[in-house]
Amino acid sequence: MNAPERNLKPPPRRSGELAGIVLVNEEIKAIVATAFRINLMALNAIFLAKRAGNAALGFGVLSNELRRFAQDLTRRMSSLRDMTSGSVGSVTGVVQQQRNTAILTEAFRLSGEGVPGVREARKRGALRLAEQQASLRALDLRLRAAVEETQQLVELGGVLARSAKIEAAYGGGFSPALMQVSTDFAEVIAQIKRSLEVLGKERLVKD
Amino acid sequence: MKQAHCIYQDDEHRWLAIARDPSKPGYIIDTNEYVIVDGNEALLCDPGGIEIFPSVFSALSAECDPTTLAGIFASHQDPDIISSLALWLEFKPDLKCYTSWLWQSFLPHFGGTDSTFVPIPDPGMTIKLGGLELQAIPAHYLHSSGNHHLYDPKSKILFSGDVGAALLPPDQNNLYVEDFSRHIRHAEGFHKRWMGSDKAKRDWCERVSRLDIDMLVPQHGAIYQGADVQRFINWFAALEVGVLRG
Repeated sequence: MNAPERNLKPPPRRSGELAGIVLVNEEIKAIVATAFRINLMALNAIFLAKRAGNAALGFGVLSNELRRFAQDLTRRMSSLRDMTSGSVGSVTGVVQQQRNTAILTEAFRLSGEGVPGVREARKRGALRLAEQQASLRALDLRLRAAVEETQQLVELGGVLARSAKIEAAYGGGFSPALMQVSTDFAEVIAQIKRSLEVLGKERLVKD
Repeated sequence: MKQAHCIYQDDEHRWLAIARDPSKPGYIIDTNEYVIVDGNEALLCDPGGIEIFPSVFSALSAECDPTTLAGIFASHQDPDIISSLALWLEFKPDLKCYTSWLWQSFLPHFGGTDSTFVPIPDPGMTIKLGGLELQAIPAHYLHSSGNHHLYDPKSKILFSGDVGAALLPPDQNNLYVEDFSRHIRHAEGFHKRWMGSDKAKRDWCERVSRLDIDMLVPQHGAIYQGADVQRFINWFAALEVGVLRG
């Protein structure tokens, strides 16, 4: 027996946008977790610097700055997360509209030319889709701008980590411990940079 | 592809049955859609699911101007009844959807806004279409907890939703019931399983027995006409419903 023929050709797959949002959210979660780790590391570094006394004054100041950096980063990631949550609604709207348009197009094709109301319905659908896509593009631009700003902040974090390494060299007997802490800072900040690069490449609107 | 069959015509008053779709995927239950036309207004009863929208739309357009659609009547909330709502609204945004008040906040998950829905109260209501006064008849728990059928006193047609439905084998494509006792075998399992309340069933049988019905048109299967209408009501009244097997 032959398999039943489908009435509808499946509409073009538009799951890419939703998958993109999932990826963006996962990277944001990873950065938030790393920022929390920097905050704890910075607290430990502040205590270590206090124990090291005068030899680690500079290191203590930098640790404080790194802690502030972690808090700023967490705030920025939280606003990025709000943006992507909002984008789920926009992407879903576009996906729904595209599916409706595909099914209506098939209905109009089957009905033949000259059915009243078809032209107006097409025009309305195309207009709505264009509006939804424009709003999604605007959201995408805002998200990319926010990621770029965060990348600049993380550059500053990288500078702080490098300076902490230099200060660690002057830590006297505590120097190896301080060096280890500053190396850890540099590593986690490098991790954040990689995540931000992924975020920067991701697009909510696929070409 | 589906085709619209005129099952009643009196001047500008028509009933179209959009039935039998041989090209429909086998995993989707076959459905009948009905269009009531009076003058320059039309009402679509149980428009069906998303998947069959193109064939329903084209069948309807072949027989009547789709811009004259004034409303949709949804007997209940199932996807094979009304999941195409968003697509009909995409075509005609000001369409009204008449449905039980119970589903007023559920159906917007398929589409529509606050202004789309006209809630039908439990005892039913009159729906005006052109010069007609159609009657929404209560059929609660048959099978849905908020369920109405639609009676047209002028044509004497009762749209009975899932009541009277038969799951016919693919080779039985007749629009009308031709041999009641053979046909009803395909309706028995469906009614036993889907109709959950014996009391609701008896109430419905009494209610529709008081109506003057020439045709009982269900959402699945063939149309009952003439003496088969009362034959069906009697059969249904005697049927044990709400059973898993037997």
